[in-house]
Amino acid sequence: MTFLKIAWFEYYRRIRSKWFIIGTFGMPVLILGISLLGGYLTGTGASIETKYMGLIDETGIYGQDLVAALDQRYDEEDVSPLNIMLTKGSFEALQVQFDALVKEHSLDGYFVIPADFNANPHLKFYAQSTGTMRSTDIVGAELRQLLTHDRAEALNLPLTALEELFVDIDIEHYELGASEARDTEELIAGYVAPFVFMFLLFLGIFTGGQLLLRAVLEERSSRVIEVLLSTVTYNDLMGGKIVGLGMLGLTQSAIYLLAGVIAGYYYDINIVTPAIGLLYFVYFVLGYLLYAGVYIGVGALFDSEQEAQQAIQIITFIAVIPMLLWTLVIENPNSTLVNALCYFPPVTPFFMMIKISVGETSVLQVLITIMIMIGSVYASIRLAAKVFRTAILLYGKRITLPEIVRWIKA
Amino acid sequence: MIELQNISKQYNSIKAVNKLNIQIQAGQICGFLGPNGAGKTTSLRMLMNIIHPDEGTILFDGKEERPGAQHFGYLPEERGLYQKISVQETLNYFAHLRNVKDYHSKIDHILERFELRDRLHSKVSELSKGNQQKLQFINTILHDPDFVVLDEPFSGLDPVNQLLLKEILEDMKKAGKTIIFSSHQMGQVEKICDDVALINQGKLILSGSLSQIKREYGKTHLQVIPEHESDLDHEILKKNDAVIRAGAAYILLSEKDRSQLISRINSAFEIRTIKVAEPGLEDIFIQMVQADKP
Repeated sequence: MTFLKIAWFEYYRRIRSKWFIIGTFGMPVLILGISLLGGYLTGTGASIETKYMGLIDETGIYGQDLVAALDQRYDEEDVSPLNIMLTKGSFEALQVQFDALVKEHSLDGYFVIPADFNANPHLKFYAQSTGTMRSTDIVGAELRQLLTHDRAEALNLPLTALEELFVDIDIEHYELGASEARDTEELIAGYVAPFVFMFLLFLGIFTGGQLLLRAVLEERSSRVIEVLLSTVTYNDLMGGKIVGLGMLGLTQSAIYLLAGVIAGYYYDINIVTPAIGLLYFVYFVLGYLLYAGVYIGVGALFDSEQEAQQAIQIITFIAVIPMLLWTLVIENPNSTLVNALCYFPPVTPFFMMIKISVGETSVLQVLITIMIMIGSVYASIRLAAKVFRTAILLYGKRITLPEIVRWIKA
Repeated sequence: MIELQNISKQYNSIKAVNKLNIQIQAGQICGFLGPNGAGKTTSLRMLMNIIHPDEGTILFDGKEERPGAQHFGYLPEERGLYQKISVQETLNYFAHLRNVKDYHSKIDHILERFELRDRLHSKVSELSKGNQQKLQFINTILHDPDFVVLDEPFSGLDPVNQLLLKEILEDMKKAGKTIIFSSHQMGQVEKICDDVALINQGKLILSGSLSQIKREYGKTHLQVIPEHESDLDHEILKKNDAVIRAGAAYILLSEKDRSQLISRINSAFEIRTIKVAEPGLEDIFIQMVQADKP
């Protein structure tokens, strides 16, 4: 079993490398860190520049209340991104002065509360740039509340009536036949898990592919390939590489899935069921083999990594489709577009994994997609073998498309 | 013994190897020569089963059936090593692939002989060019192959290690191995090889034992170094079509007037050295390749 020796060599020398360890454990930490940090920054407004806003209050009433409301809001949330300079007076009289302040960057912009605000509620905002949507939204929301209070008073409604009028509705999610509602963790997990499965699949398949590409380029550029091919057959060499580096991707996925099982046990949510785990590995293997053929073929065609990476970009582009469309699949798992894409081999594993983890697929669809994938894998590996066999020993020669077609036909 | 019988290989419209017939005897070292693009690499790859000939057969010890890969050792020109793994990992891997039994002790022994034992755990990329070449050679012969192909094995080696490599090749020869030695360094070929095969444009243009080839194709020259360099312009040298190269004049000798010519030159001007120069393989090589030009 020569190919197993090669597979072990490829697997063992990489699994011990610090890059594998850093990549496997560092990547989730990094992704989690970036998403948490991003959430923190946008959620709290921390580290966002304080905006200096002017406010021309033609009503002489709302300005003061607005500033007080905003101050209270930011006191409670412990941040203060809006600094309001309030001036009572008419827009006509003050416009030139305020425009000048904006132009010399003393102000980021200014609001005008028109005199007829109560009867005709609208707010004007003057600024040089449009990047102040968040600030205008906040001001608008506060002003709306002030106006609601005013109008309630005008209608002689007690303030408690407002609380009665503006209510939030709690939506409880139940599993079919269940008596207890799903808790928040479960709901979030239900939304996030499909993405995580797809992302892990993506990570494993393309990490494996990239490693294959580099392994082929390394042997080609160092001419080890000649020594190897005088010792083993082409099929053993190619098969050994594919299996060895695929096992590496599987090891990585197994670590993540195990972490998922442990986390699920801890939070009492069943994310990684045996069926999902099994299908994950089936789609991983099929997806990996499909792309392995492509990466090996491309690796055999080029002398330098730079050229090979350029050629592989088109593949990466196809693979980005699931990354762009994953929310679509979660929200509309049975739409015609999603179903059609499920039968498009380059993205089949990713879309099917999402559909499986949201529970919106059928045994028939799973079987059909697996059959399609097996057929595509067979074609991909066969073509790759033909290209690999012919191109791997052609150094320093620019290979043309007609040549590749001829090898494949041969 | 290896016999290439009517071997051909074509790439697109180019016939890289064209009905090549060569016999390489066991227990001898055969110099495999040819200018760049002559079809040497293609021939060696076919011998190593890396590519298959379009037509013709290769016999090993008279049989068409090819022995297992562990019977072959191949040292391609330059590199041929993984750069990012250690010396030990390199040798272990290839020994494992070639089913070498008890390879740890063999590796130990051969590294000792090549004075590389202290580099066992060094990464290949950390070795000097010479040490990398030694490692590559060790990797070629560690499994004690019967058929060995060496493409420029002396590249990057200092004279001490060249000598060591020569000794090992002699040992292998005595053990009855079939060795093919491809090189552009004619001096090395002359020192090591028993037989030579010269190919050009995919065809064999010359083969046989080195001494016989030198006798048949080599032209003997008279080498004259005058005491005063100005005498290189002397009338007698011009009359005999002397070729001037690096302060010496070379005159092609024919058998009959040899002694007469020497005495005439001797009396014509003051001589520092005058001697009959043996034919060199390089001259034969150049002469044969030029004569083969279409």
